[in-house]
Amino acid sequence: MTFGDPTQRARGSSGIGRFFEAPQIGRMSPASRLIVYSLLLFWSAFVLFPLYWIVITSVKLPIDVNDGPAYLPFIDFAPNMHAWRDLLVLDLAETVKPYRNSVIIALFATIACMLIGSMAAYALARIEYKPKFGTILLFVVAMVGASVSVGIWGVDWRLAAASAGAIFVLLARALGRRFKRSVGNGDILFWMISQRILPPVVTVVPVYMMFQSVRLLDTHFALIVTYTVVNLPIVVWLMYDFFSGIPKDLEESAQLDGASRLTVFYEIVLPLARTGLAATTLLVLIFSWNEYVVALFLSTTNAQTMPILVAAMNGGEKGVLWWKMCVVIIIMIIPVVLMALVLQRFISKGILLGAVKG
Amino acid sequence: MSVADIEAASTATSRAQKLSIRGLNKSFGAVHVVKDLSIDVEPGEFLVLLGPSGCGKTTGLRMIAGLEVADSGQIVLGDSDVTSVLPKYRDVAMVFQSYALYPHKTVADNIGFPLKVRGLPIEQRAAAVREAAAQVHMDDYLDRYPRQLSGGQRQRVALARAIVRRPSVFLMDEPLSNLDAKLRGYMRAELKHMQHELGVTTVYVTHDQVEAMTLAHRVAIMDEGVLQQIGTPRDVYDRPANLFVAGFMGSPSMNFIRGSVENGRFESHGVSLPLVDAAPGGDVVMGFRPEDAQVVDPGAGLFDAKVFTAELTGDVTLVTVALGDTSLAVKMPKEYEVDYDSAVAVTLPLPQAFLFDARSGQRLPARFAEVAR
Amino acid sequence: MTTQDSVVGVSQSGSRSPTAIAVELPPRGGFAEWFDNQSRQFFIMPAVIMILVFSIFPLIASLILSLSRVRLRAGGYNVRFVGLRNFERQIFGSEQFHFLGTFTSISPLGWLFAIAVAALLIWWLVRCFRGSVSLLGFIGRLITAGMIFGLSLMFAATLLSGNQFGTLGVTLFYVLVGCAVQFLIGLGLAVICAQPIWGRTFFRVVFFLPMMITPIGIGFGFRMMADTTKGPFSPVWQWFGLRDFAWAADPWAARTFIVIGDSWQWIPFIFVVLLAALENVPRDMVEAGHVDGASGWQIFREITWPSIAPVAATVILIRAIEAFKLVDLPNIMTSGGPGISTESMTLHAFFAWRAPDLAQSAAVSYLLLFVAVVLCVSFFNLVVLKRRAAIA
Repeated sequence: MTFGDPTQRARGSSGIGRFFEAPQIGRMSPASRLIVYSLLLFWSAFVLFPLYWIVITSVKLPIDVNDGPAYLPFIDFAPNMHAWRDLLVLDLAETVKPYRNSVIIALFATIACMLIGSMAAYALARIEYKPKFGTILLFVVAMVGASVSVGIWGVDWRLAAASAGAIFVLLARALGRRFKRSVGNGDILFWMISQRILPPVVTVVPVYMMFQSVRLLDTHFALIVTYTVVNLPIVVWLMYDFFSGIPKDLEESAQLDGASRLTVFYEIVLPLARTGLAATTLLVLIFSWNEYVVALFLSTTNAQTMPILVAAMNGGEKGVLWWKMCVVIIIMIIPVVLMALVLQRFISKGILLGAVKG
Repeated sequence: MSVADIEAASTATSRAQKLSIRGLNKSFGAVHVVKDLSIDVEPGEFLVLLGPSGCGKTTGLRMIAGLEVADSGQIVLGDSDVTSVLPKYRDVAMVFQSYALYPHKTVADNIGFPLKVRGLPIEQRAAAVREAAAQVHMDDYLDRYPRQLSGGQRQRVALARAIVRRPSVFLMDEPLSNLDAKLRGYMRAELKHMQHELGVTTVYVTHDQVEAMTLAHRVAIMDEGVLQQIGTPRDVYDRPANLFVAGFMGSPSMNFIRGSVENGRFESHGVSLPLVDAAPGGDVVMGFRPEDAQVVDPGAGLFDAKVFTAELTGDVTLVTVALGDTSLAVKMPKEYEVDYDSAVAVTLPLPQAFLFDARSGQRLPARFAEVAR
Repeated sequence: MTTQDSVVGVSQSGSRSPTAIAVELPPRGGFAEWFDNQSRQFFIMPAVIMILVFSIFPLIASLILSLSRVRLRAGGYNVRFVGLRNFERQIFGSEQFHFLGTFTSISPLGWLFAIAVAALLIWWLVRCFRGSVSLLGFIGRLITAGMIFGLSLMFAATLLSGNQFGTLGVTLFYVLVGCAVQFLIGLGLAVICAQPIWGRTFFRVVFFLPMMITPIGIGFGFRMMADTTKGPFSPVWQWFGLRDFAWAADPWAARTFIVIGDSWQWIPFIFVVLLAALENVPRDMVEAGHVDGASGWQIFREITWPSIAPVAATVILIRAIEAFKLVDLPNIMTSGGPGISTESMTLHAFFAWRAPDLAQSAAVSYLLLFVAVVLCVSFFNLVVLKRRAAIA
C-alpha cells in the first residue's frame, strides 16, 4: 500500500516521480517511507519523553527540579539516588506496605474476577437461562423496599435483608406464574456488561457505608471484592466470545465421556481459551493495579495501595515531592511492563476478539 | 436378517443393552424436528438412522445421548428410564462427525479421558488406552497431538475413545463423512467388524445410503422428523414403504413415471402397462430400479424413449433416456454404446416394478402383469 | 468378547488377551448427580450475586440518597426523603451554574445552532417513523433525540452565548473531543504500523507503554510537562513569550492539557485493537484491490475501512464509557480549576462527597449515569449494531 499521491505516481518513472512511486505493490515509495518513519519517531518521542522525564526526575536533587529544566544526567545535573535511597532504604517499611497491599489486592482481585467472570461467561455462552420477568421485578422491588426501610426508616439492615428475602421467596412462585415472559442469555449478558457504564462514584458511597456497617473498611477484602465487581463486566464480555468460539462438539464429547460441567470447564474449555485468558488477565491486572478512586474511598491506612502512595507524595505545604513520586511511579510500572512483555503476543489478539463480536 | 440372527451374532458382550425410544418429540422454536419417534434397538444391534440433512436424525441421536432434552417421550436403556438423565450417567459413547478430539491433549490423553474423569487408577488407564489404541492401529501415535494426525487417524482416535470404556451403547453421528472416498470404504469395513466383535448396541446416523446398506442390521429411514420405514437393508431396498424411501435408497435413485390407473392398466404419456390386481383408479407413480431395466431397439421394449446421455462410470454404462419430460436412468453393461438422441426402447421384468399412490406416496399392493415380449 | 483373526485390527492385538476394564458408571441419585444437575446455577450465581450486592444494591441505595437529605450526626446519618429536590437544585436551582453552566440569555448564534439541531433531529425522527422501525425502537430514538436536543440547548446557552459551562459540558467535552482525537490518532498509528515497516515490534511495544501506567502517575507527569517555568518545555514557552502564562488559569488551555494527558494514556488501547483488526483484514481482498488498480486511499476507503468499522465502533464505545468516568487527571492536574472549568461530573460528585454532601453527590452521580447510559446505549444500538450488521 502506498501513501504517495496517485496523481504524482502517474507522472512516470523518472526524476521526482520515482520518489513518490512505490517500487512494487505492497512496498512504500521513498516519500511515504520518509513520512511514515518521521511520524513513528515523533510518536515514540511523544510517548517516551514523559517517561524519560519521570526517570530522570527520580534521580534529581530537589534543587535540580526546582531550578528549572535540566535535561541530561551528568551534563545538566549530577544524578543522585537520594529519592531511591529514601524510599527503598530509609523508609523501606513505608514503601513495602502499600506495595504489598497492591500486590495482594491486584492479584486476588484478578484471580477472583477471572474465576467468577469466566464461569459466568461460559455459562452464558453455553447454558440457556430463562429467568422469569416477574421474578426479576419482584426481586428489584424487594431490594428497593429493604434499602428504603434501612436508609430512611432506620430499620436494622439484617432484619430488612431477612424479611425482604423471605417475601421474595414466598411471592416468587406466584408472581413468576403471572408474568410468563422471560429474558434470555443475551439480556443477561447485556445487563452484566452494562455494569461497566456505572461510574464508580455512583456506587462507591453506598459500598463505603456497607463496608463500614460490617467493619470491613480499610481491609484488603473490601478492595478485592470491589475491584472484582468493577472488572467483572470486562471479563464476561471478552471471555464470552472466546468461549463461544470453542467448538461445542468438544464439550459435548467430554460430557458423554463422563465429565461433569465443572470438569468440562477446567479440563477442556479453559485450556482452549488460554489466549483470551492471558489477555483478559493482563487487562484486569492493569486496571486493579492502577485503580485510584475506589482505593481513595475505601482505604485509609492499612489497605493503602500504591496509587494512594503516589498521591501522598503531593505533600501539603512542602509542595510535591517530585523526585520521590517519580520513584514510586517507576516501581509501579516495572512489574506491569514485565508481565505485558511476556503476554504481549496475546493481548492484541485477545482484545480484538472481544471487540469484534462484543 | 431377522432379529434372532442379530441376537445370535452378538451375544458376545453382556453389557450390550436394549435401547427403546418411545414417542419422542422435539421442537426448536416453531420447528417440530422430531415427530413421535419410536424405535426399539435390540442388544448388540447395529441400527442406522438414515435420512437427508435436516430430517431430525441427528437430533434424535442427541436426545439418546442426553445432549438435547426431549419435549415428550421416553428413552429406556436396559431397565432404566434415562429420558432426563445427564449424559454422564447414561453409559453411552458417541463419535462426532468432527471427531471432537481435544486439541490440547495427546492421543493417549484423548483416549484415556473417559477413564480419567471416572477416576480409574493411572496404570489401569494406561493399559486400557494401549489396548484400545491397538484395536484401531493407533498404538504408535500415542504421544502425538490431534493436529499432527491425518483425517483417518483422527477418526481412529475418536473410535478408540468411544470403545475404551466399553459403553452399553455406541452413538455415531456421520463419523465417516469427513474422510475421502477410498478411506471411507476401508473404515466402513473396520467399523462393521469392530461392532460385530464388541457386540455393542450401536445407533449410527448417516445421510449416505451406501453406508446404511453396508453397515446396518436394520435401517430406519427418516424424513422431516417422521420415521418412514424400519427394516433390514434388503427389506428396505426391495420393499420400500413409500415414494420417499424408494427414491432415497439406491444410486442412481429409482426411476419414477407419473401416470394413472385406468381400466386395470397403468397409463402414462406413451406408456400403457397391464396390472395384475384390480387397482383402484386414480393418480399413481410407477417406479423401477435402473439396474432392473434394459435399453433395447425401438419397438422392442415396453415403451419408446430417446437417449439423453450415456456415461461410462467404470463397471457400468449409465444411460439416461427421456420419456416426454421424465428422464429415466438405466444401467447397461460397460460395453454398451449408443448415440445421443437416438430412438430406443426400455424394457424391464414388470413384476419387479412398484406402484405408489401419487397423493399419499404409499406403495400400493397392486403389481404389474408379466408382458410377453 | 469374540476375537477373529481375519481382520487386521485384531491380528495385531490378537496375541494379547483383552483385559476387561471395569469402568463403573458413577452412582446414580447421589449428591454428585444432584450437584451436576444444579451446576447451571452454580456457574452463573457468583457473578450475579456479586453484581447484585455490590452494584445493583448500591445503585438503589444511591438513588435513595439522591432523593433524600442526608445529615451527619454523631455515629451515623439522618436520612430524610425530599423527593426530586436535589435534582431540581442541580438543574434549575442554586447548583445550576455548577452542573449546567451560567445562563444569561441565548445568543443568536446559540438559537441558530439549537434550531439547526432540532431540525436535524426532527428530520431524522420522521425518516425513522416512515421507515420500518418498531414502536420500542422509535421510543428509544425519541429518548436519544430528546437527550441530544437538551444537550445542544445547553451548549447553545453556554458556549455559544459566551457563558461558562458546568461539569456536564466539561464531561461531554472530554468524551467527544477526547474520543475523536484518540480515535483518529490511534487509527493513523495503527494504519502505519500495519505496513511492512522496519522495527515494528519495537514501535508496538513503545506505543503500548502508556496503558500500563497508573492514571494518577500520568496526571502528575503531565503536570510536570505543563509547568511553564520548571517543566521541560519552559524554554519553548519562553521563546513564544509565554513565560508568565499560567495555563492552569485559562479554562481552554487547562481542558486541552487534560485531553492531551488522557489521549496519551488511551491512544495505545485504541491503537492495539485497531492494529489487530487491520491485520485481520483478508489479504486477498487488499491484493484484489491492487490488481484492480485502486490507489492506497481507495483501498483503505473501500476495503479496509468497511471491514474494521465494527471494531472501530466498539472501541469508540469502550473509550466513551471510560471517558464518562474520567476523574484522576482533572483531579491531579488542575483540581478541577480554574474555578470549575475542568471539573468532570465524577469529580463534581467526588467534591460533593468530600464536602460532605452525600445527597448532592448521589444526585450528580445519577445525572451522570443517566446521560452516560442514554448516550452509550444509543451509540450501541444506532452505530455499533449497524456496523456489525453491515459486515455480517
